[in-house]
Amino acid sequence: MMWNLLKDIWFLFGRLFPFPTKPGLRRVGNPGRSSPVLVTANFELTVRTVMETLERDGIDAWLLVAPTKGVNVWCAGGAGDFTADTVVSILKTSGIENLVDHRRLILPQLSASGVNIWSLKERTEWKPRFGPAHVKDLSAYLRNGKSRTEREHRHLKFNLKDRFVMGTNLGFNVALLLILPLLLASVWLPGLLWGTLALLFVFSVLCSVLAFWLPGKPGVQKGLSLGILGAAVFVVFTEVTGPPDPWHLIGWTGWIMVISAFVGYDMPSWSPLWRQDATELILGVKNTHVEILPEKCIGCHLCDIVCPADLFAYDSAAKKYAVVNLDACQACGACIENCPTEAIVNNFRSGVCSCPTCAVINGVGALTRKGSERKPSEEVAATVP
Amino acid sequence: MSTLVYMKILEQTPAKYDRGMRILTLGRVDRIKREIASVWIQPGNAVLEIGCGSGSLAALMTNRGAQVVGIDVSEPMLSVARTSAPDAEFLHMTATEIGMLGSDRFDRIVATLSLSELSEDEQRYVLRATRGLLKPNGKLIVADEVRPDAWWQRIPFYCVRLPLAAVTLLLTQNTTHALRLLDSRLAAAGFRVASAERYLLGTLALVVAERA
Repeated sequence: MMWNLLKDIWFLFGRLFPFPTKPGLRRVGNPGRSSPVLVTANFELTVRTVMETLERDGIDAWLLVAPTKGVNVWCAGGAGDFTADTVVSILKTSGIENLVDHRRLILPQLSASGVNIWSLKERTEWKPRFGPAHVKDLSAYLRNGKSRTEREHRHLKFNLKDRFVMGTNLGFNVALLLILPLLLASVWLPGLLWGTLALLFVFSVLCSVLAFWLPGKPGVQKGLSLGILGAAVFVVFTEVTGPPDPWHLIGWTGWIMVISAFVGYDMPSWSPLWRQDATELILGVKNTHVEILPEKCIGCHLCDIVCPADLFAYDSAAKKYAVVNLDACQACGACIENCPTEAIVNNFRSGVCSCPTCAVINGVGALTRKGSERKPSEEVAATVP
Repeated sequence: MSTLVYMKILEQTPAKYDRGMRILTLGRVDRIKREIASVWIQPGNAVLEIGCGSGSLAALMTNRGAQVVGIDVSEPMLSVARTSAPDAEFLHMTATEIGMLGSDRFDRIVATLSLSELSEDEQRYVLRATRGLLKPNGKLIVADEVRPDAWWQRIPFYCVRLPLAAVTLLLTQNTTHALRLLDSRLAAAGFRVASAERYLLGTLALVVAERA
């Protein structure tokens, strides 16, 4: 209990870092030969949340904890550490095939940016399908069976609690990222270190919590909106508390704007809603293009099933899908990875994570895809600025 | 922009991986590969290489006249391997799938710096599977980083490994995990060790095992 509390405190700040738990087979409740078989990543928080949720809801299941290097489902999917290979491996080593009579396998929806379901079907006798995106919908999904129609299970939300937790994580990580240069700079500018760290943390939490209400596009624009607010508070405060030193006032006001822009730039990395693309985050110009080639689309629904952003709409007359909500695209690449006919063309490297803080802190190649890659379509790339 | 810079710095390429492994082993890995090819591989041998990477060992072995099948899970690695060892056969396959390659088929099964990439369960599973794939007089050849079992032997291990790992990480953003309990896992999978050499204060091992 105590240990779990300490871990939860750590996850309030250091969720970005891999936190492995032993891969292998876990029994949830008292599973039998017809109990469902689920797969998840070997990130401690994920495994614990899945087990606690299912146990609380009285569901018996087999949980396969795949070796994803201690990284969570979505990041591991994007980084190439949670792929069809990973699932094949855990299916073989766990011996699950001798414990159940069926071959139905439920994968986390967000693993779709790494797991190619067709490859899995080809290489094993299992019938995999993607379950809901959120753990909280898992019990309902298992009880009701299907969820293709339950579209709300498939789309990501970013509620207040999530925004707060992601804000504290963002604050901790940007502070960690900048602590060395700040320590060096504080040799010449004493007083810079603690003020800056405090600002980074407070702005991170605020920028994330207020993400929907700050004016401007996600990225630097929202950051600067917060900065203007912060600078105004700072100016009023210094005027009230005494005659300000003009250089002190100008210096800190400028610094507040720089910090807020930096925090704003990184905040979308910590959201499940916005893409981490430099052009989009700095200039606020949409730089993402995804398109379904109608002549190749066979209407298999998979792109719609794996999309966490509700990008696609089905034309039942033509029995084909089309992109209708491009603005919401986060470039996770799940649709591209899973389209059986390569009907989806795009102008970004799919299956590649690019959260700036994460890339630096987790450097160890965990966040650059080592598995297969699909090159962006040159024709499409040429048409997009 | 910064994202692009990060991506460029951190991008993993087969060449960068090879460079990383060379630094981590102070160049020893290349010498071990040459030794495997010249001492342990005979012309005409059917060889399976688990985790063939960029195919440098596969190339040495095909030059010796062996029939090599290499497997790896990284497509970029496999495409380099196909160029560097055109006479070998390469398959995209996880180590846990080797069972489907048949039984009693190979004279040699080679794994350099690849077993340590696997989880403990995977290691156990793969070692058992290799035993089924080897011909009765076949040999399993493992070259990998190893962590000594006794705590007092781990002091020199960490003295050697930590600085090398730090430099490797800094220059190439690659790292490895040392194998633990290799000897007992080999025994549990039905192998007996025929020859074992250790390098770099025992942190790197070349172990040749036979079916017990």
